Amino acid sequence: MPGEIHGLLGKNGSGKSTLIKILSGYHKPDEGTLEVDGRPVPLPIPLGRSEAIGLAFVHQNLGLLPEATVLENFIAGDHARAGQWFINWQAEAARARRLFGQHHLDLDPWATVGDLSPVKRAQLAIVRAADRVGSHSEDASAGLLVLDEPTPFLPIEGVRELFAMMRRLKETGVSIIFVSHDIDEVMEITDRITVLRDGHVIDSFDTAATSRTRIVEAIVGRSLTQERLVHAEPLANVPMMSASNLSGRIVRDLDLEVAPGEILGLTGLIGSGFDEVPRLLAGAQLASAGRLAMPGGAVHDLTRMQPADAVAAGIALIPADRQKLGLALDLSLTENAMLPMAARGDHCFLLDHRARHAKTAELMRRFVVKAESPRQAASELSGGNQQKLLLAKWLQLGPKLVLLDEPTQGIDIGARREIYERLLEACAAGAAVICATSEFEQLELIAHRVVVFERGRVKAELRGGEVTKSSIEAACYGETRTYEHG
Amino acid sequence: MTNVGYQLERYGLVIVWLAVIALFGALRPETFLTWSNFSSIFGSEAVLVIVTLGLIVPLTAGDFDLSIAQTLTFTSMLTAILSARMGVPIGYAIPIALAAGAIVGLINGAITLYFRVHSLIVTLGVGTFLHGITLWMSDSQTISGVSRVLMQYVIIQRIFGIPVSFYYAIVLAALVWYVLSYTAFGQQLLFTGRGREVGRLTGVAVGRVRMTAFVVSGMMGAFAGILYTGTTGSANPTSGTTLLLPAFAAAFLGATCIKPGRFNAWGSVIAVYFLVTGINGLSVLGFRTFVHDLFYGGALVVAVMVSQLVSGRKERTL
Repeated sequence: MPGEIHGLLGKNGSGKSTLIKILSGYHKPDEGTLEVDGRPVPLPIPLGRSEAIGLAFVHQNLGLLPEATVLENFIAGDHARAGQWFINWQAEAARARRLFGQHHLDLDPWATVGDLSPVKRAQLAIVRAADRVGSHSEDASAGLLVLDEPTPFLPIEGVRELFAMMRRLKETGVSIIFVSHDIDEVMEITDRITVLRDGHVIDSFDTAATSRTRIVEAIVGRSLTQERLVHAEPLANVPMMSASNLSGRIVRDLDLEVAPGEILGLTGLIGSGFDEVPRLLAGAQLASAGRLAMPGGAVHDLTRMQPADAVAAGIALIPADRQKLGLALDLSLTENAMLPMAARGDHCFLLDHRARHAKTAELMRRFVVKAESPRQAASELSGGNQQKLLLAKWLQLGPKLVLLDEPTQGIDIGARREIYERLLEACAAGAAVICATSEFEQLELIAHRVVVFERGRVKAELRGGEVTKSSIEAACYGETRTYEHG
Repeated sequence: MTNVGYQLERYGLVIVWLAVIALFGALRPETFLTWSNFSSIFGSEAVLVIVTLGLIVPLTAGDFDLSIAQTLTFTSMLTAILSARMGVPIGYAIPIALAAGAIVGLINGAITLYFRVHSLIVTLGVGTFLHGITLWMSDSQTISGVSRVLMQYVIIQRIFGIPVSFYYAIVLAALVWYVLSYTAFGQQLLFTGRGREVGRLTGVAVGRVRMTAFVVSGMMGAFAGILYTGTTGSANPTSGTTLLLPAFAAAFLGATCIKPGRFNAWGSVIAVYFLVTGINGLSVLGFRTFVHDLFYGGALVVAVMVSQLVSGRKERTL
């Protein structure tokens, strides 16, 4: 509807991003029709034509070049209007200032985008998009802006500023589709809400006339509970490792303990910071504060700990991006699997290649890595087998603490099952496991305890029988305490 | 890929080399196909082999050392000036030149690592700077009159008719082959080049590995410089300039054979001798010097094209 802010809600994989990609001409829809301003639009929309029919997008990464100035970013992609052969920078700056003024945005056109606060950057991207649909649209309509998750990385005051800007835009007749994970934000800013699940529209609500509970129900749906794989209790109540006062880019003042034989799940919505914790604890990303106590009284300063120190302390990190951070794809399975030993400098003056291949072949049997030979390049394996190889590479060391970041991303069910079993074995052998994931089913299957994050802090903790998919979802989308205090 | 195909790929360059020898031999048997021609090729091109071996160490770690040829010129001149002008015994001049090469490597590594500048740019600048120093300290003149002792141990002494410098190159190639294939450091180099973050997260000290690679290539450049002075008994201030491109061509061409897809020592040795045999044959046929540039330039481009094809396919290790 013209002049409306419409919220689009749904879980990961519910179809929000697919819908947006169709609108921006990136995907070709299988079927269906689209009307803008009452006129049918042929699908698929040719790339670059969306502005002409009155659509503009602001994606989560904003599409700004940090090294360039505000003005350069502002006219990027609009060079046809600004002048093909000669850009009158003074006139463009004056025009940008005038537009920023209309949006109550205090921005110097000559400032460098990288120096701006995240809020200012988001506002710049939105004003740019609004200007594009306003000036390019083939009729006089104010156009439709699609804001795809612009808020997760903004502080609370920033979100308020952004909302004020969206309301002003709405008054000028611009329509906005606001995509978010955050129900509270959506309830605060939108006029209507549509919920997607599994690619279908579940329901549409008038925001003023609905309740939070009804929306959560629509998002989550009825969940089928799976049989939990984890039964045994943690081996001891004494913590295997404890992190204190941990802060990173998003995470703030976190205290965390895991016991031997315990699988601790970390989860939350996008941008809540849960996925930062494994990297901070493994030294892959330096913390701004925090200490890590390991068994035997060793205490590590997480603001300086390097990955090599973490490995030496018995910490294993299995990163989410296995193709870039986990395995060197054009090297062989043996070289990848034996890297921890080579990095440590074992047998440093005479590598026994036959023994290395034999050890790798043995690991491949134990971890059910399906491949022709240990001499193959890792790139030839499927995603699931790569992940199992990565698990083998680390678990052969008998680590005390295993850190996983989205361990089953893009992996089929069979391989998932095998990965869970290997993790449970490691636990039974006394390792502590921390698994950061946004897949709640997975936590229901394997976690003894789950910590839910919001805006870098712990929002809820579930343990034992409370660890179910629906209760994790409820905790994630649940009423927020910190937000209210703003 | 079948096993036959794989073996053919491994030894493809050797076969092409033999074919080139056969071709020129058939055309000019009396001048080309003589032992003296080959032994002089083997001896005088030892310098190029060592420069190429020096290059593949940082290349394996993912860094370029464009300064290696100027390191050669600089240390060659340094050795000549120390020996001919200042009367420093050759036994002292050699360690001083090697230390100078190591310092160049340290500077390259420090700037690349500390300021996070791409090594291509750093070593291009450092190399040009070194060339300036070389011209300055030699007053742009060729310096001759180097102690005969050096020549004695580089070019005059022969084993099986081939100057000893060839055997130095072969010993170095064996050393590089051993380090790359049979040591933990070789694996660390490989991961630093092919999966730097993977290596770092598994505990490889990638900064230290890259620094070591730069120092090694600096010292290999210096060793090549000493041999260069020993080969001619003099140093000229532009000697290394023409070696950089052939060395890169040989490094990339070498990565298409023996161990396809990887920079490797024996592949580099074969590639160097393949290239210089081609050049030698063409000049025996009477072509003038412009064929050098045609041949080396063409070989570099063809080599990277072939290695791109190879790396897109299956790779095997020992």
